[in-house]
Amino acid sequence: MHVFVKQVPDISTLEYDPSTLAPRLEKATPRLGESDLVALEAALRIKESWGGEVVVLSAGDGLNELVLREALAMGADRCFYVSDPILSRADAWVTANILSRLSKKAGGADLLLCGEASSDSGNYQLGPRLSEAMGIPCITHAVSVELDGKVVRVRRSLEDRTEILESEAPLIITASLELASPRLPSLLMIKAASKKPMTRVDISELGLEKDLLEPLVERLSVRVLKTARRNIVLDGGPLECAERLVESLVREGVLRA
Amino acid sequence: MMTVLILAGELDELLELRTVADQIGAQDVEALVPDALVDGDTLSSLGLKRVYLLEGFEETPPEELVKIVIDLVKKRGHGLVVGPSKKIYRELFARTAQNLSSPCLTDCTSLESVEGSLVAERPFLGGGYVERLAIKRLPALLTIQLMGRRPQTREKGSLEMVRLGRLSTEDLRLRRVAVEKVERRGADLAKARVVVSVGRGFKRREDLKMAEDLAQLLGAELACSRPIASDLGWMPEEKHVGLSGKWISPQLYIAIGISGQVQHMVGVRNSRIIVAVNNDTSAPIHREADYSVPLDLYQFIPALIKVLRERGARVA
Ligand SMILES: Cc1cc2nc3c(=O)[nH]c(=O)nc-3n(C[C@H](O)[C@H](O)[C@H](O)COP(=O)(O)OP(=O)(O)OC[C@H]3O[C@@H](n4cnc5c(N)ncnc54)[C@H](O)[C@@H]3O)c2cc1C
Repeated sequence: MHVFVKQVPDISTLEYDPSTLAPRLEKATPRLGESDLVALEAALRIKESWGGEVVVLSAGDGLNELVLREALAMGADRCFYVSDPILSRADAWVTANILSRLSKKAGGADLLLCGEASSDSGNYQLGPRLSEAMGIPCITHAVSVELDGKVVRVRRSLEDRTEILESEAPLIITASLELASPRLPSLLMIKAASKKPMTRVDISELGLEKDLLEPLVERLSVRVLKTARRNIVLDGGPLECAERLVESLVREGVLRA
Repeated sequence: MMTVLILAGELDELLELRTVADQIGAQDVEALVPDALVDGDTLSSLGLKRVYLLEGFEETPPEELVKIVIDLVKKRGHGLVVGPSKKIYRELFARTAQNLSSPCLTDCTSLESVEGSLVAERPFLGGGYVERLAIKRLPALLTIQLMGRRPQTREKGSLEMVRLGRLSTEDLRLRRVAVEKVERRGADLAKARVVVSVGRGFKRREDLKMAEDLAQLLGAELACSRPIASDLGWMPEEKHVGLSGKWISPQLYIAIGISGQVQHMVGVRNSRIIVAVNNDTSAPIHREADYSVPLDLYQFIPALIKVLRERGARVA
């Protein structure tokens, strides 16, 4: 199994520069994306129930090995990664091109899993793009995955329906946040992870033609979204508070009493 | 001259996406819609040149729709393909884009033409930020975050309708063994004036009754945070608001037992007034609310219902 993970800034502690409104990404704490960890957890459970090896793949600019080791601490066996400045400008197209080659370089897999969307860009594109690039079918937004002999059975959840799909390997699956809760590695597992193999692959080893590395989208700017709110705290007991709230909403013109 | 192809499964989606084509001054606009959507009157006043009607649109999986879209885009030379930000369209567009060596942007909140090139904005970093992106190659495929935009009315024009036959499901590598439709309930959240929204502060499913009563009293629609729909299954997925759900802009948004993470707040940022009911004074929602009620919802909601009843208060 191959699991794709992305190093992303921890959004919960991210700050912005009040003069430019841009995020201070250089100061952010790196972590692995939420739904990537869910995909990894799902792969680990498959490994525990049905066997197999879990290989983690990642691509980014200035990747931190300690962050990638968290995936190994959770129970993945090995890691292959590309860390290259080219990825700081990469769009979904370039990322998919690099990761599809990296997966081949790492020996290919029967099951390929990734998060439904990254925690920073939230493109929802990696799984479907890999599917087209690699010629492997893909099931997006999985909320459960089971193996039944050679058959992989996936339940996916869409806005207006849930579907159960079946396929044989090779198959790409994108994990919905609800597929599994990522385990917290124990101290013992963290220790064991330091001995697991990590292979840094140079981007030139992937044999990507120039146009496959040329982004089709350019980021011009990023700014924080702020909406001024009044932040009026209503105090008192439930009834008092309710009275005050209703009065305020009548004054605001949204309620009539 | 830019030609645009709109993909939409519902009339409301088509209407909203039509405004996007206007924003970039597109002249030549076509649409691909389910054949069930034929409403000649509305369609012909949208200023569309051509509408493709696809039988079985809804049931056709993205990996099959890819072929139709690629075919159309290649034949007609569309510079831009737009669709609603829903899971199926995001997948369809990403696949089509990879195939055509094209850019795909999901969840766009705006699109403009700047000195001849397309510039889009979309949520970034969980929705607390916006990124502004220049599109470097056409055709580009964009899913648009629906927010209730409405197109200008136009004179009725001539409209060519082209029927596309049902596709055979060729990809035998994926088998759909079961499909469960989720029953639609209530009105469209995007149009609601008042929304009562529930989060994990509710301990049991039965307790949502309180919120339903409140919503009914206010003539409000009921919405929820993502975990209430997706983790707990207490509400249908189409009722969850936020980054990965609906984006709404009611006059009044009452968030009950919701912590207010960025991924939630981005979907309600355009509300006129936000009321937060949360007994943890350090919950982020209190910083993003107009009125904060730092009380236990189990005590406050019954009190609010009582006061509203006594006063005979209703939505203005
Ligand atoms: C990629 C991604 C996309 C996401 N998209 C969305 C999205 O679109 N929409 C969304 O909502 N979330 C989304 N999330 C999840 C989001 O980060 C939060 O986890 C989620 O919004 C939390 O839901 P909640 O507020 O209901 O639950 P919690 O965070 O658990 O908050 C419950 C709140 O209830 C309060 N509470 C508890 N008991 C009471 C009581 N008796 N009275 C009053 N208050 C009480 C608590 O103080 C707490 O603040 C996304 C996450 C990711 C990573």
